[in-house]
Amino acid sequence: MERKIGVYICECGPNISEKIDIDKVIDAVSLPEDVAVVKRYKLLCSVDGKKFLEDEIKKQGLTHLVIAACSPKQHEKTFMEVCENAGINPYLYQLANIREQCAWVTDDKDEATKKAIRLVKAAIRRVRYHFPLEKKEIACNPDVLVIGGGVAGLEASLQLASSDRRVYLVEKTSSLGGMVDNFEKTFPNMQPGSNLIKQKILDVNKNENIKVFTDSIVEELLGFFGSFEVKVKAKEQDAFVEFDVGAVVLATGSSFFDPKQTPQYGYGTLDNVFTAIEFEKMNKSGKISLKNGKTPKNVAIVHCVGRNEKGYCSQICCMYSLKFARYLKEKIPDVNVFHFYSDMCIPGKSQQKFYDQTKGKHINFIRSSNIEVTKKGDNVQINYSDEDGKANNLPANMVILSPAITPTSDSSQLAELAGISQDDSGFFAEEHEKLNPISTSTEGIYIVGSAQGPKDIPDTLIQAEAATGKILSSLVPGRKIEPEVKVSHISESFCIGCKNCMSVCSYGTITFDEEKKVCVVNEVICRGCGNCVAACPSGAATLKHFTFKQLYQEILEAV
Amino acid sequence: MSKSKETSTIKTAVLPAKSGTKKAILDFLKNAMDKKNFDAVIIPMRVPAGDSFVYVLIKDVSLLKDAFPLSPVMSVQGARVVSSVTRLGKGDMKIAAVMRPCEIRATIELAKFGQVDLENVTLISMDCPGVMPISDFLSDPEKGMKLFDDAVTSWDDSIMRPVCKICDKSSMIAGDIHIGTLGAKKDTFFMIPKTQKGNDTLEKSDIKIDADLDEWHNKVTTLSEEKKKKRNSANKDLKVKTGGIDNLIDTFSQCINCHNCMKVCPICFCRLCYFDSENVKHSAENYLQIAENKGSIRFLPDTILFQTGRMMHMSVSCVSCGSCEDACPASIPVGQIFSMIADETQKAFDYVSGRDINEPTPLVAYKKDELHEMEDAHD
Amino acid sequence: MEEKEIHSDVLVIGAGLAGIEASLLLSSSDRKVHLVEKTSYTGGTVIKFEEVFSNMECSTCMVSPRQQELLQDKNINLLTLSEVEEVKGSLGNFTVKINKKARYVDLQNCIGCNACFEPCPVSLKNEFEEGLSERKAIYTPCAGALPNVPMIDTEHCLRFNGKECTACQEACMFEAIDFNQKDEQLKLNVEAIIAATGFTLFDSKQIPKYGYGKIDDVYSAFEFERLYASNGPTEGKLRLKNGKTPKSAAIIHCVGRDQKGYCSSVCCLYSLKFNHYLKSKIPEMEIDEFYTDLCIPGKSHQKFYEKMKETGTNLIRFQDINVDKQGEGITVTYTNGGKKSSRTVDMVILSPAIEPRADSSKLAKILGISHDDYGFFKEEDPDVSSVTTSKPGVFIAGCAQGPKNIQDSVSQASAAVGKILSQSGDK
Repeated sequence: MERKIGVYICECGPNISEKIDIDKVIDAVSLPEDVAVVKRYKLLCSVDGKKFLEDEIKKQGLTHLVIAACSPKQHEKTFMEVCENAGINPYLYQLANIREQCAWVTDDKDEATKKAIRLVKAAIRRVRYHFPLEKKEIACNPDVLVIGGGVAGLEASLQLASSDRRVYLVEKTSSLGGMVDNFEKTFPNMQPGSNLIKQKILDVNKNENIKVFTDSIVEELLGFFGSFEVKVKAKEQDAFVEFDVGAVVLATGSSFFDPKQTPQYGYGTLDNVFTAIEFEKMNKSGKISLKNGKTPKNVAIVHCVGRNEKGYCSQICCMYSLKFARYLKEKIPDVNVFHFYSDMCIPGKSQQKFYDQTKGKHINFIRSSNIEVTKKGDNVQINYSDEDGKANNLPANMVILSPAITPTSDSSQLAELAGISQDDSGFFAEEHEKLNPISTSTEGIYIVGSAQGPKDIPDTLIQAEAATGKILSSLVPGRKIEPEVKVSHISESFCIGCKNCMSVCSYGTITFDEEKKVCVVNEVICRGCGNCVAACPSGAATLKHFTFKQLYQEILEAV
Repeated sequence: MSKSKETSTIKTAVLPAKSGTKKAILDFLKNAMDKKNFDAVIIPMRVPAGDSFVYVLIKDVSLLKDAFPLSPVMSVQGARVVSSVTRLGKGDMKIAAVMRPCEIRATIELAKFGQVDLENVTLISMDCPGVMPISDFLSDPEKGMKLFDDAVTSWDDSIMRPVCKICDKSSMIAGDIHIGTLGAKKDTFFMIPKTQKGNDTLEKSDIKIDADLDEWHNKVTTLSEEKKKKRNSANKDLKVKTGGIDNLIDTFSQCINCHNCMKVCPICFCRLCYFDSENVKHSAENYLQIAENKGSIRFLPDTILFQTGRMMHMSVSCVSCGSCEDACPASIPVGQIFSMIADETQKAFDYVSGRDINEPTPLVAYKKDELHEMEDAHD
Repeated sequence: MEEKEIHSDVLVIGAGLAGIEASLLLSSSDRKVHLVEKTSYTGGTVIKFEEVFSNMECSTCMVSPRQQELLQDKNINLLTLSEVEEVKGSLGNFTVKINKKARYVDLQNCIGCNACFEPCPVSLKNEFEEGLSERKAIYTPCAGALPNVPMIDTEHCLRFNGKECTACQEACMFEAIDFNQKDEQLKLNVEAIIAATGFTLFDSKQIPKYGYGKIDDVYSAFEFERLYASNGPTEGKLRLKNGKTPKSAAIIHCVGRDQKGYCSSVCCLYSLKFNHYLKSKIPEMEIDEFYTDLCIPGKSHQKFYEKMKETGTNLIRFQDINVDKQGEGITVTYTNGGKKSSRTVDMVILSPAIEPRADSSKLAKILGISHDDYGFFKEEDPDVSSVTTSKPGVFIAGCAQGPKNIQDSVSQASAAVGKILSQSGDK
């Protein structure tokens, strides 16, 4: 069919019409044979303007559309809709920005007009090489896989499960509950930890839309958002259980820094030096006592164990250390507690009150550094430098170490399984630190709780609920997913199989066909970032709607 | 490249070479084939007409005696041979490839790009005196053969390719085994294993690996330092000569855009070179537009684009073999230029092409901490 | 069983980052959202910042794609210059009365050309710019505000005070200015409500020893943000009130902490960000950061702190601190461990506590929810969820619930949406 390009220049009030000689532009761009019509209009994005364009397209029998107006950020979609309504493919159109990129930044009218002419000509050149692109739709599976049966996994499962959405909850240990089950109480309200967990576990087990696998791990996870294939294996068995889901929530929790790596604290070498989790368990059993069965009189709590080694503040340790002081006071009323800390980190509206109410007789706070725990007779001695740098020491019967929160030992395997990355500290990497903290670069895989980074229980619950929000709004039963249209494509005949593209793809979109020895793009998960196109030495990879030819045409005119 | 640290702790095998190193190497290969350690060998051979040398994949062990481990010319870069054989899969036969260090390095680079499967290939390199420019040899093959033999004996590179004269990696151990002739006692030579595969290969041939390498190492280090000096000086001059767009254009003014250099380059493995593709072919209207913008346009167009584009695509993997310069019909010192650029680009990434199969190429390796010079550039 | 009308629309109060996140997420699950915003623009407080910690990402670049999405989203009914007056009913069926003030500029016709500003004869201090520059009676708060449509400040506009003036209307080529617009009373029926009304900063004037409001070149955090902003009153040029370039600065953390009784969790980090701001414009500047306890939780923040330390900043712990004018400079006197010392600097930046907005208790009453001892909206039980309130169907998110960073505000917004969607079942 003969190509007929329609070019429409928006006056945009004084914005464009006063800074650019539009008539000159019209004259300059009317020359090519395939430019059927060039007109100016007061305000193309107005209701009248859009109607005018639609009528023009139909009347003139246009095949391609070029609009010279404002930024695509403002109105690219607007004119795409106009095309659709008028019956031409919305990708056979190009918007030349002669406002933000020309009229608004060029003082001299002649210069602005010259530049506008080139911008419009560039758009005309480019649009000649546009291909019609079609939107795709794929059916999605609304079910969800939740990996990890701690408080985050339980919360997410309960929120997500419904009559038209199954949840598969896979827990690697033999029981649900996770870390929180070890805590007699949680800060700041000092409610029993088991309260949080017991009811949730009951509810999960009762819920017929949640299938629980304990003593199990996910062996394989293939596919993409809306269509993941899962293989789960129970510890004692050989067979897999296979099922499909649309999204995955990683709620695999965290671990603690091993104080054996910092021998100055005496962990593992001296008696009565305990880690936080050991102390929690001891406390939950009901009796706090030394190895010899006696009750401690002086307890030292050392904050920030492993902080320098790990390189970050774990956010919750000051708070739980204060909680420990309360545990001690509740069970041993005349005990002396000494907190050895560097900075008191108690952010949040309720935390300072908790600290203020914990302070008091027999609970002391010593700002210190260079802490070393040594043996002193039957007990220990805390050697430290005080605020002024002077060396000092303090005898104690028991030492509790508050270690940094670290990723679990299997987090690298999990990251590989799910095709997501880890940050420098080994926690799962979120898509965007601020705006997308629970999504990952792999669409459909969410990370919640301390697997994403150290945090307390309320924040963990929030993240689990946030994942719910994300999943419930994007994976709707019966609704189709519309993947990105402007995706990459690798020509089978030109691909040489060097796999450069695979190395630079952040989304796991490209796979290698062993038989044909070429790389293949999954157009459903491709986000159209273009990294592969840049990395391909032979130009076998191209980006739809941003092909070399299209870009070259623009550059040819503009430069 | 800390060669000194690398080799001073490596043990080597010392083999007798009573009838000359060439025969000794071929004997080793024959024995290995007889023992079924190798099923085939890739090695240069003289053509029946006697006026050139080519690579041959030898299956019949009796033909080995006519092979030339160190041929005077490099008619084809050895990496392309290994790639031809194994690109579509490794095959089930074990192959030994006897090539020069730069060819071995190029093979390793190609393996990183999936163009070579090294699983059933044992790479054997040797101390290299250089390679003669092919046109020099072809103009008088008999004289060329004599000149080359003398050059090998005296280890004199004056007849070699310009890039060979300034090559400081002519004894680089890049493959599985390296044949060391420099510093060896009379009538002996070294077989130096680098990898586990190299070790196993020698052991399977009942060769003991228990000698010290200091003699070879010292000789090689001395020679390499000398070459490095020559190289730095040559590159400095070349930078001045080709620096700036005007000088660059002048340097390539005789280029006819035949793309021979790309065709013979082992690193240029694309099925269809970008610069031969539709992307650089334009409509008459486009050419006329360019002609209008600039006044005129030279044809065939995109010469500098091709040269600098090829530089950008392959210089991080360039092994300075000089095949490109041999192939240029306009006698442009393209090998020297690309070799100089390759030094710079590889230095910027602290990368040496072909040094280590496990070292990812800078193009696809992301290091958070690199190229800080670039960060400040845009302020 | 009685027939109760169930509606599926959701009311979101506050178009800051949390409100935007909630609205977009609800819209993508095909819910209609009524987004009520008190001011004339979206983006809340975050768009005051040039950059955000700790990767120093451009704040407006980060937010504006979402603002654009919001403006073009057909499911979201953005009601700017609007406030909630009354809420009746319960979960599934709330009846909400909204007072929508007239903008006097037509949102459809106005193209944001700003031609109406120049002719306006009234000039007054620009609140968005913290009073550091001026605006007209017809104005947008800053360059790049979205929606890019001005409003008329009827309190100061001559016409609305009985004088004859049509300067702006005459300058407009699109007939976008309509003095006849009226305030509207809207009635909406919604299923649920999310209150994400954000925060304000503690007024440092309440603590005279910081010299704020008395001494020139003692700035509060927002003022400094605007000074540094490239779309701010000085286009990012850092100059003292006398026009000179500052050579030294003191950044004081924890302003108002004792008065408020909690740690606002983001101030240490944004104070370090200020360090980066200063060093990036004036590399030789000498900077003292005065802090009590360094609070830098989070897996990526310590690295940021260490990077700032490497720029040569002095980190000084203090128990007591005083700011006085001394000749040309400002003296900061402080005690640490009983010892008294002082530093003289050219400028002081105060990092005040985050507190609830002045009208938040009024809104709490209207919504039928309570506020905690500090004035923030009260969550039902943080061990259950920090976004649910004692009133089913009313959710809270962001700094309106308590001081927090952007990441946590956005997560709370998504969580509130999660609660709404899971309660009402999939559509």
